[in-house]
Amino acid sequence: MINKVANIINEMLEETGQDKVENFDPSMSLRDELNLDSLMLAELTVRLEDEFGVDIFEDGVVRTLGEVIAKLEGK
Amino acid sequence: MNKIFLVYKQMEVTYENLINDINAKETYQHYIFVNDNNPYSIFLSIIHSLLYKYPIEILDGDFSDIELEEIGVNKTALSDSKSIERLLTINDFNVLLDKISENEDWSLSLYTSGTTGRPKKVTHTFQSLTRNVKTGDKFSDNIWAFAYNPTHIAGLQVFFQSLMNQNTIVYAFNDQLTNLSNLIEEYNITNISATSTYYRNVLPYLKDREYDSIKRITFGGEKYDPSIEDKLKTIFPNVKIRNIYASTEAGSLFVAKGEKFIVPHTIKGLVKINENNELLIHQSLLGKSNSFTFEGNWFNTGDLVEFIDNIHFKFISRNSDMINVGGYKVNPLEVENTLINVEGVIDLVVKSKKNKVTGEILVADVVKGDNYNDMELKKSIKQYGAKHLQEWKIPRIIKFVNEIPKSRTGKKVRK
Repeated sequence: MINKVANIINEMLEETGQDKVENFDPSMSLRDELNLDSLMLAELTVRLEDEFGVDIFEDGVVRTLGEVIAKLEGK
Repeated sequence: MNKIFLVYKQMEVTYENLINDINAKETYQHYIFVNDNNPYSIFLSIIHSLLYKYPIEILDGDFSDIELEEIGVNKTALSDSKSIERLLTINDFNVLLDKISENEDWSLSLYTSGTTGRPKKVTHTFQSLTRNVKTGDKFSDNIWAFAYNPTHIAGLQVFFQSLMNQNTIVYAFNDQLTNLSNLIEEYNITNISATSTYYRNVLPYLKDREYDSIKRITFGGEKYDPSIEDKLKTIFPNVKIRNIYASTEAGSLFVAKGEKFIVPHTIKGLVKINENNELLIHQSLLGKSNSFTFEGNWFNTGDLVEFIDNIHFKFISRNSDMINVGGYKVNPLEVENTLINVEGVIDLVVKSKKNKVTGEILVADVVKGDNYNDMELKKSIKQYGAKHLQEWKIPRIIKFVNEIPKSRTGKKVRK
């Protein structure tokens, strides 16, 4: 699962001409470590919903990559 | 006078500093175009213009050359500056406020998304900008978290509300969003005014804590999101929540508790709905613009509403021609007219995609020419967008399609 999400984030980065991230870790903060601003988070949530049918922000709070994966896995 | 006027990143500016800077400012410019939208430069210029009674035009600091050209602003005119002929010396904030209230010759123009696909200029008087500013002892100790772009109407509303009460503004926008918790504690912030998007994004950084100092939270700039109200009440146990309807065209008009808006008695008779349930506003409530079209004396907001009784109404949907990205209104036509110039793009339609982070984002369906690589073309479109459009006007997700569906009247279908 982490690889699928990593691929989506890297695709977003590539399209905007930014460097891809090499190593993803579940503890990584979306905003502070992956540098996703509100617009990128909005884009990520739409892309993930298209792919997995899950709205990761449905009930509020997602801060880290690990929390995203937990939502997608329905935990 | 040692009271703080503005906290911006590491900088604290007192009212005394502000007055000294105003006294020292001997030149002025018609255009306020501040590269990083630095709120202090913008606020200082606005107050200076009110003191010396010259009209100003506020431009977003991230407008590209093309966007400036589109709205008819000559780039060389941006740096034109003139000297003040008779310098005033202000010694006291109340004197400054008195001078500001003599403002017949002053006006402030700003730009908003127009229906024709290019931004339109709207010119406000002091009265139309400060219609809903409240002053008095009750408001004198307010400390504001500032969470809007200072060049936009909602930011200006907070600025005037704060200035007229000699309050403190603490900038909590953009890169300061994740720092809101510290700012509330350090400055004892009492009021926050922001978009639903801002609250949704700041919530993860306020988790597990209670902040007693916050008395009032205002939603503005975007459709109100009732799903966050309970969460905010848990984090801010002393808070009252209000929802404001303001527009660049009219300034602030209505206030609501929850979703039920009230037409204040001061503007009763100046608001009505037409047979399509669209909200109409009388032209006397609007700023001035050459781009307004009126139905008689009425301006059609394009917002669909339902009246509950004579003075209460609810919004059913906001103007469907516009897409609201986290509080920024975008006309998809403007984006299409720009991106059609990218080599390899044959046709495109820009649409909205709903989400819980920014309300809506832009996505584009693109018909591409033969022999263009998908990823390379996506990169070119986004790169061209970044050069010619403000960030929130760039489609985030691009899909390639064989054709763009059109309605019977030939309009692109944006659904």
